Amino acid sequence: MMHATVPTVVSAEVVDALCAIVGKENVIYGDEELLVYECDAYTIEKQLPNVVVLPQTTGQVAAVVKLCAQHQLPIIPRGAGTSLSGTVLAVTGGVMITLSRMAKILEIDYRNRRALVEAGCVNAWITNAVKAQGLFYAPDPSSQSACTIGGNVATNSGGPHTLKLGVTTNHVLGFEMVMPDGEIIWFGTRPDGGEEVDGYDLRGAIIGCEGMFGVVTRVLVQLIRAPQMYKTMMGVFENVDDASRTVSDIIAAGMVPGAMEMMDQLITQAVEAAYHFGFPLDAGAVLIIELDGLAAGLDQQAERVIEICKKNKAREVRMAKTDQERMELWKCRKRAFGAIGRLSPNFLTQDGVVPRSKLPEMMRFIRACSEKHGLRIPNVFHAGDGNIHPLILYDEREPDQVRRALEAGHDILNMCIEMGGSATGEHGIGVEKIDFMAKQFTKEDLDAMRTLRRIFDPENRCNPHKMFPGSKRCADFAPRKQIAA
Amino acid sequence: MILQPSNTEQLVQALAQASARKEKIECVDLSALNRVIEHTAEDMTVTVECGATLTALQTELAKHRQWLAMDPPNPDQLTIGALINSNVSGPRRFGYGTIRDYLIGIKVILADGTVIHSGGKVVKNVAGYDLMKLFIGSHGSIGVSVEATFKLRPLPELEKFVQVQCKSLEVADRLIEAVIKSEITPVVLDLHQISKPENNAVTVVLGFAGTREEVEWQLAKAADLGFNQHSSLDYEATFWADSTLTHRLSVLPSTIVRVIRNLDGAPFIARAGNGIIYHRGTPAPRSEVLPLELMRRVKDAYDPNHILPELPL
Ligand SMILES: Cc1cc2nc3c(=O)[nH]c(=O)nc-3n(C[C@H](O)[C@H](O)[C@H](O)COP(=O)(O)OP(=O)(O)OC[C@H]3O[C@@H](n4cnc5c(N)ncnc54)[C@H](O)[C@@H]3O)c2cc1C
Repeated sequence: MMHATVPTVVSAEVVDALCAIVGKENVIYGDEELLVYECDAYTIEKQLPNVVVLPQTTGQVAAVVKLCAQHQLPIIPRGAGTSLSGTVLAVTGGVMITLSRMAKILEIDYRNRRALVEAGCVNAWITNAVKAQGLFYAPDPSSQSACTIGGNVATNSGGPHTLKLGVTTNHVLGFEMVMPDGEIIWFGTRPDGGEEVDGYDLRGAIIGCEGMFGVVTRVLVQLIRAPQMYKTMMGVFENVDDASRTVSDIIAAGMVPGAMEMMDQLITQAVEAAYHFGFPLDAGAVLIIELDGLAAGLDQQAERVIEICKKNKAREVRMAKTDQERMELWKCRKRAFGAIGRLSPNFLTQDGVVPRSKLPEMMRFIRACSEKHGLRIPNVFHAGDGNIHPLILYDEREPDQVRRALEAGHDILNMCIEMGGSATGEHGIGVEKIDFMAKQFTKEDLDAMRTLRRIFDPENRCNPHKMFPGSKRCADFAPRKQIAA
Repeated sequence: MILQPSNTEQLVQALAQASARKEKIECVDLSALNRVIEHTAEDMTVTVECGATLTALQTELAKHRQWLAMDPPNPDQLTIGALINSNVSGPRRFGYGTIRDYLIGIKVILADGTVIHSGGKVVKNVAGYDLMKLFIGSHGSIGVSVEATFKLRPLPELEKFVQVQCKSLEVADRLIEAVIKSEITPVVLDLHQISKPENNAVTVVLGFAGTREEVEWQLAKAADLGFNQHSSLDYEATFWADSTLTHRLSVLPSTIVRVIRNLDGAPFIARAGNGIIYHRGTPAPRSEVLPLELMRRVKDAYDPNHILPELPL
């Protein structure tokens, strides 16, 4: 992979100063060592930062950021680098501030159901720490065993279970952030404070900003009571339309399942070949429906779900009989992307959203798209949220396939926007979806966003060249292998 | 100046003009913009004009057994715009959250008449910055919200309330802690003393909502904890019907009893699970440290001529 020349220059003197702040062992420079940091899980575009620093305290972060401000250097906050939209890319180089050495759980307040963690803390660690007390941290991205809370805050992450419980912004009470000038500010609820905070909801405006407003260093999250019981079902359908209608009918019946995830035939076959769960190979669609909550009445709800599945011509509905079986089923779902390797050397994934009721139409469009571009497109997605994940299969050795894959992706996202949806429900804009911003938003909307940007970062130095049309792009652009969820 | 637009275009023009002339706007009356634009029951979303009252919206949604899961005081007078601007909530907040958990799209006219949108019509959406949050609780200080899209919830099959009279705040505190540690998941967890009874008792109220089975199981569990008396939310109506000035405190939930003890016996309702206390009498001194400089920048950026009301802090 070639690298375009890095326009940012970081002098030896600045590197020395960075070493003085965080210690030599926490500074990475030199192309070889920096390679890990050339991209996130969106690997189509790559670029090396000049330096990576791994601070261990908020004070160190602030000192690093101040030094960068003095020298007018771009700063790029980074968590685990699992982003799927290239939002951690050092487009023009700069100083990458990685939070992986600030990963502690600092305090757990069971009485008030709060946990204070450092931004580099891995999402799943929080639930692991509190589950013995019957609590959990709700947002559960499929990458939860790797991604950090800081990254979740920056991308407003969701997951399979956000249908009922919402996304990161609904569960993060407050956080400490180092502003691009080095000032340390707490936003939202303080660890010992009330949940309602006067004035503008800046916490809310920062969540989902893709690391462009500052470096988050500590996060206060809300914990909630874990469900007493799960009822996890698998409905087998002749086609995607019947399965989609089932999703709508369950909602219309006044139920809000914890999750409703759909897999079409292509992906079901791939998953079955990889994990041997026992999925039927000839079914048009498989729907995973999970009810959760208090045990009382859950059986009756499950019966209603089964009835609705049957009404929509489900061939069969299987219920996970043990916790083990439930875990197996979820493992298949969460690892579905991993199974794709059997179908194709490369794939491109999108995460557009359409109103739930438009799912059948969207699935038909994806099928047409697949025919038009001559590429297979399996689907595995958060059906309850209308959040699609078409996986466009291609072979990077065939330039024409690459071109068609990109075109198919664009067609699908354009259609999402046309249907009143969004180009992204989880992965963010980053560098990948910049072109869709002007389609989804008016010039005025974008100006209002730029205004917000200037309020936090008047010099456009924090994670620059992302999100907005007209941003600089990396020089080299050749789709390569991509992992995803 | 008071604006009473009969449509969005008029409001756009009026604001642009006021901005150019640097005329202050005291109030925008949106009562003419009161349509429910689109309720897509199968998507559980609704788009509504901000002049509609909450009651009008809920009436419409109830036809499909859905609701915007918010229960602030005086919903028949409260417009959707005011609900967003003031970020008010009610007792069911413990179970359902606040308006920021439901707002998924907004159309706002900025101070200079520019029309902007944020969010959209879908329940999951991370395209661009979340500008929506800026307008919640903004008291109309940076723009006039004219249209909002919300995600909705199904109306619960059943809802029941139970209460216990506790002879002291300490007893109530222990009871609340027991509720929080138990397996029940009430949507209301209130502590109140809206008028001083002779025995100085305070009342703890629980509310349950959901399927019949869920509610009944929880009622039995609550009874084990001592919640044997049927209840309702009448105390809410009584408290807010009194027009005496009310103060609001937001504290760490586990500290409410300590805070209430310092209220000198003034009437109060506390959302015990959230740490929110509404009380009469003298306001407590505030000690909150806020990022005021940034908030000033927000105001200056979106309303440079300061024609809209200032953010009360
Ligand atoms: C296999 C797989 C499955 C996935 N599944 C999901 C899913 O189900 N749902 C979902 O929402 N996403 C999913 N993702 C995407 C990704 O995991 C999330 O966006 C995650 O929140 C990124 O966290 P991270 O720590 O890896 O952040 P990074 O990738 O390092 O960074 C992401 C963004 O956050 C910023 N950032 C990181 N840390 C900080 C900080 N401390 N302060 C300020 N800004 C910061 C960065 O600048 C960047 O803009 C998946 C990714 C993969 C690879």
